Amino acid sequence: MAKIDLDKMLAKVKATQWSLADIDWDAPGADRITDEQWPRLKEFMADLMWIEHVGARAFAAMAKKAPTDTLRELYSYFHAEEQRHANAEMALMKRWGMLDGDELPEPNINLRLVIEWLDRYSDEMPVYVLGTVVPMLEIALDGALCKFLLDTVDDPVCHQAFEKINDDESRHLGVGFTVMEMQGHGATYTRMVTMAARLMDPRLILGIASYFPLLNKMRDNVVAMGLSEEKLYECMGKFEKIGGRTEDGRRNPWFQIIKLHSRWVVNRDNRLYHTPVDAIVKVTSYIPRRALPAVPSWVRELTYRPTA
Amino acid sequence: MSNPSRPKTPGRRKRHPSATVLIVGAGFAGLGTAIRLQQAGIRDIVILERAADVGGTWRDNQYPGAACDIPSNLYSYSFDQNPDWSRSFSGSTEIFEYIKAMVERFDLAQYIRFNQNVTDLAYDDQHGLWRASTESGEQFSARAAVMAHGPLSNPSYPDIAGIDRYQGHKIHSAAWDHDYDFRGKKVGVIGTGASAIQIIPELVKDAQKLTVFQRTPAWVMPRPDFETPQWQKQLFRRLPASQSALRKGLYLAHESMALAVIWDSPVTRLAERLGRWHLRHQVRDRWLRRQLTPDYRIGCKRILVSNDYYPALQQPNCKLITWPIARLCENGIRTVEGIEHQFDCIVFATGFDVSHSGTPFPVRGSGGRLLSEDWQRGAQAYKSVNVAGYPNLFLTFGPNSGPGHNSVLVYMESQIDYIVRGVKTILNRNLKSLAVRDSAQQAYNDGIQKRLARTNWNSGCKSWYLTEDGFNATMYPGFASQYARQMKELDLRDYVLTPP
Repeated sequence: MAKIDLDKMLAKVKATQWSLADIDWDAPGADRITDEQWPRLKEFMADLMWIEHVGARAFAAMAKKAPTDTLRELYSYFHAEEQRHANAEMALMKRWGMLDGDELPEPNINLRLVIEWLDRYSDEMPVYVLGTVVPMLEIALDGALCKFLLDTVDDPVCHQAFEKINDDESRHLGVGFTVMEMQGHGATYTRMVTMAARLMDPRLILGIASYFPLLNKMRDNVVAMGLSEEKLYECMGKFEKIGGRTEDGRRNPWFQIIKLHSRWVVNRDNRLYHTPVDAIVKVTSYIPRRALPAVPSWVRELTYRPTA
Repeated sequence: MSNPSRPKTPGRRKRHPSATVLIVGAGFAGLGTAIRLQQAGIRDIVILERAADVGGTWRDNQYPGAACDIPSNLYSYSFDQNPDWSRSFSGSTEIFEYIKAMVERFDLAQYIRFNQNVTDLAYDDQHGLWRASTESGEQFSARAAVMAHGPLSNPSYPDIAGIDRYQGHKIHSAAWDHDYDFRGKKVGVIGTGASAIQIIPELVKDAQKLTVFQRTPAWVMPRPDFETPQWQKQLFRRLPASQSALRKGLYLAHESMALAVIWDSPVTRLAERLGRWHLRHQVRDRWLRRQLTPDYRIGCKRILVSNDYYPALQQPNCKLITWPIARLCENGIRTVEGIEHQFDCIVFATGFDVSHSGTPFPVRGSGGRLLSEDWQRGAQAYKSVNVAGYPNLFLTFGPNSGPGHNSVLVYMESQIDYIVRGVKTILNRNLKSLAVRDSAQQAYNDGIQKRLARTNWNSGCKSWYLTEDGFNATMYPGFASQYARQMKELDLRDYVLTPP
């Protein structure tokens, strides 16, 4: 992936917009979901939709902090595009009879905690922290989950929707990795000191505390759905490969830290990491929903309806 | 058979006898200039108005809720105060009535030629006359010309893909369709600027569903609007000095706001706090508050005042959309989150086509030079009123005369009095032309641009004050009193005076 011209990318993003109305959600093929697939797919789609939505919120935060007008606008578009993906996935759920009336599917508790953190603190986070985490989430979770979905689901409408979604995602990643390289450009010492200062920010520590168990939880979910763990790790490996392809990219301390973390996640023998994080996943699963604050109102923006 | 609406060829134009002063536009600026000229004993005036009525922007902007965001006692001429303003911030109908009454009080109708849309304004070097050709095929000429067409006179539609494909009803805030019934309709409003925040609280009362599309949130401040008590009107009528004193007080209060609006100072932070307090006070939902929180320094764009905009957005039938617009389609607006928002009517509250470099019609100066060409790299003038190469031509609301913190009419009065001095100089000295020196204009603008670099307007946000390249040809970087002081004197050393 070559470093991209962000202005050209913005023009391309604007020129390649699509809407839910471009897809015929009632076209034949919905019956290709087998009875056996249906319950697992329902959970899977709910998770996927929420991950898109989490990505959307992160892009919203990045749009506020972006260092240039072009990046600011790109992130505003990506925010909306992630929302579009979540809407399209919800429309697929509707098509497959997975929605209970107009009710939004519930996110799992770890996603719920990440949503809570994003809503409270993401706007305060430096753009480069989110700018490194988001490509990781996109490439690992989104990438792995989408691939799994397309490998196992035979519905042509699903393929049509994901062709569009994947085109968008490849642009998000292109920009994501370019920005990571931009961050790596400059004096190493200064960057390290800045990063160390950021790492001591309690808000960021809280973010890390919700991000770690999310990855392990998603790994468990993915395995439960029948996707091999290795496929998820392959996708995480891509982050390391693409993010570290240039010197600037490698010099980005946030890339190094996320890379290190992804190695811990991938290495199941690393008990020092997995035992406490898996324990947190378990503990968090006992948090009663009513103990959490009300979902932020941006969550209610989701819709499966192509028109309003 | 000839077509009556077809413009006549220049050779066949109906020529009117030359006047002393020709004014383009019968809005606040044009009429104010006529009044002051008249008071200075100059009565040989022609005012060319493109519409069939006076009032300019206040004639055109009659959308529901239209009002001024400067107190009426300051948004009126000091030489024609109105003791009867019904509210502290009057509505557009009342302002329009004030302008019409001004025409009657000062007997201005005799000067106005309605339905005369100027298509060309050219200086005749040989005779020292400005000649205006109009769409109706007539030609008017005068020794001096005043361009008072106003910067906010042509409605602007946004550059959105598919804007012509939309099949529903379209209304622009500056050309309101008063016959359209909004009751029970699904209505979209594009824009959240000065007009939009006045329209939205009104439309939400009637529309079945109102969807507001916002690109950039503005700073919205509380609006100290109240009905004028009867005793105050009586006091102003019996003791006009009391109204002048209030006007002075309002003027000084607004002058102090320059510290917050024009430059980045501790007062700017206070103003931002007030704006955030107003938002927090009126909007409970955290996400909606985030959507409505500006991410630029206060003052960089126009500051809005409203008490009912935020509450309107929270009505059950109203929804704020901050997703970027992808395009317009047959039935409505498609936004980037993939949803097609369908409407019976779309209201474009997208402001005006502000020309930073061009002119509304070709203006040809000495030797046939074109003003739009001279202004290609950004409009420039001397003290915002005169332009080198265009003798005997005067501008109102010319380059770098816009205020961000005070009444535009305060600035206008200074310009008008300067113009009257200029015209009187031409007449008293019996000059063929009074032409500002290029060097004086250059020196003036160098100073202005240097000062502008330190203002909030040039702090990085995009606004109609700036050209695409970020050149500020709109605002005056200082207090209104500073502006008034520079306009007090017509320094003839900066002009070339040519006898007949």
